[in-house]
Amino acid sequence: MTRSERNWLLVAPAAAWFVVMLVLPLSVIFVFSFGERGPAGGYVPAFTLEQYANLPARFTAFKNTMILAPVGTIAAMLIAYPLAYQLAVRTDPKWKTILLVLVIVPFWTSILIRSYAWIFILGGRGLPALLEMVGIEGVRLIYTPFAVLIGIIYGYLPLMVFPIYVSLDRLDKRLLEASADLGAKPLRTFLTVTLPLSIPGVATGCMLVFILLMGEFLIPALLGGGKVFFVGNALVDLFLQSRNWAFGSAVAFTLIVIMLVTVTVYMRVIARLQSGRDDVSIM
Amino acid sequence: MAHIPVDLQYTANKQSDSRPPIAALRNVSKVFGSVIAADALNLSIAQGEFLSFLGPSGCGKTTALRMLAGFEAPTSGDVLIDGQAVNDLEPYRRPVNMVFQSYALFPHLNVSDNIGYGLRQRRPRLSRGEIAGKVGRALEIVRLTGFESRRVWEMSGGQQQRVALARAIVNEPKLLLLDEPLAALDRKLRKEMQIELQDLQRQIGITFVLVTHDQEEALSLSDRICVMRGGRIVQTGSPQDLYDQPKSRYVADFVGTSNFFDGTIDAVVDGIATLATRSGLRLQGAATAGLSVGAAVCLSVRPEQIRMSRDAVPGGLACTVHNRIFLGEHTEYLVQHPALGTVNVLTPRLIESGDMSFQTGEQVHINWNPGRALVLSPD
Repeated sequence: MTRSERNWLLVAPAAAWFVVMLVLPLSVIFVFSFGERGPAGGYVPAFTLEQYANLPARFTAFKNTMILAPVGTIAAMLIAYPLAYQLAVRTDPKWKTILLVLVIVPFWTSILIRSYAWIFILGGRGLPALLEMVGIEGVRLIYTPFAVLIGIIYGYLPLMVFPIYVSLDRLDKRLLEASADLGAKPLRTFLTVTLPLSIPGVATGCMLVFILLMGEFLIPALLGGGKVFFVGNALVDLFLQSRNWAFGSAVAFTLIVIMLVTVTVYMRVIARLQSGRDDVSIM
Repeated sequence: MAHIPVDLQYTANKQSDSRPPIAALRNVSKVFGSVIAADALNLSIAQGEFLSFLGPSGCGKTTALRMLAGFEAPTSGDVLIDGQAVNDLEPYRRPVNMVFQSYALFPHLNVSDNIGYGLRQRRPRLSRGEIAGKVGRALEIVRLTGFESRRVWEMSGGQQQRVALARAIVNEPKLLLLDEPLAALDRKLRKEMQIELQDLQRQIGITFVLVTHDQEEALSLSDRICVMRGGRIVQTGSPQDLYDQPKSRYVADFVGTSNFFDGTIDAVVDGIATLATRSGLRLQGAATAGLSVGAAVCLSVRPEQIRMSRDAVPGGLACTVHNRIFLGEHTEYLVQHPALGTVNVLTPRLIESGDMSFQTGEQVHINWNPGRALVLSPD
């Protein structure tokens, strides 16, 4: 067996997996998106652009996703950064592990159950009732975009904390001393040393959370109450309820294209921010 | 590095005693939990001098340096810079810059942005032109002109070292602190950088405070060395003073190498003490102050002070050559004495020509000039 044959053999399982799990389903979706809905639902082969022409019917779902996913990502990042900073830079090493575990603890329970908890908190007998006690009346939280945003931030915060934590923890603390030694006040040191050197972690966290949020459907379904729905909810509806596979495929394929374009642009921007730096990479 | 006229080279040394101190430690102690890292340090650092803190790891030398930089506040006592107590002054407000052990260069900035970092913190702001000019001159001093836009991690250890130096000296600090700056370099490069450091210090006239565990480095660079042990300063003096007149066995052992023979003082005549070893041998050396008859002492004889011959000499000790180590310009002999054990003898190559070289197993006699051996306190 030659060296190159052996290399092929080693790559084969991964390549097979890749084809079966990624290329094949994507191809199916792509083909279906040009088909038609059968009389009893499902799919009938055809070649028509009708499904794509019909996309505006789901405009609200796309709009909600394209607004709440980036806003949720940025909000989660703004909350996660100080938390990760506190854990990585300020915390006594002997407490670090315990506090990090506390960040993961929510993952021990299903997001379904945790979202139900939020239904109660944001619902009529939760926060609004508390606000009424201090005289603020008529506040409605549940089944609003705000409720979905809260749920998103809550659910995805740990995923944002970890990459940022790692980049800050890895940061050589002597660089901070060097900066202070050279006359930079703490805020300047943060802006000129800590922040630029933690960009890779922030970029990774944002990408991770953003991609997952684009496909989210559980949180909007529970906390949006059918009023605030994502593309993910539209897909659940099209495939499982109205059984319009052709249209569902068109919606799904459009979402994939939007995601690819956004992520590519995003990576270009980050790459430019890091121009010429080989010491750190985004992923 | 620019050539410096010989007559200007040593002005810093000569005047160091008369000039007012640029920095001082007054009874400075530092306690970390239950560890006393610095114990009542007293020291004045003269304007323009090259001072080294020398000692093994954990002796408190780095703590002393970090207190000067402002990274640690003294538990008690005062740190003075330019006559002002700066105990609680933040590092970014001190007219002091440090060269870190692993350089701590900013990986996201290029060479000139690293060097200009301190200048960009100045208020009132310096113009771009002024910063570029100063950075350019600093690069010239460390011979890195043309490297302005290089990434720091693309550079060799020696080059990174010079960027770190330039980043500190460009700010014209009153004190330049160097924390084991050459430890990461290989031996040959270290030698080169030692010479460059010394030239640089004379050229720019900034006061240098170096921390090192490498006695050779301290001896070759410093005007004055502060030998530390267990958080205390055990002796301060010029390299030659420390080598020729160590006050304790510890200093004699740490600064250079020496043979030590334990015993008690038998008699002191005309400054020459005779001590008796436990095996009954009588050895002689110059008495140091504060040691009286009957005191337990230690005789220190530097290997290069010992003469070795084939013929018996009065007062000589008969030994057997145990090992011969060729060191190029010197030859080191380990000779065995039945009562004293192994004695280290260093002979220059010049003397040891032809049949003067001794062979392993040969019977020899060693002796030394008592005035060149020192009777020291044993700790």
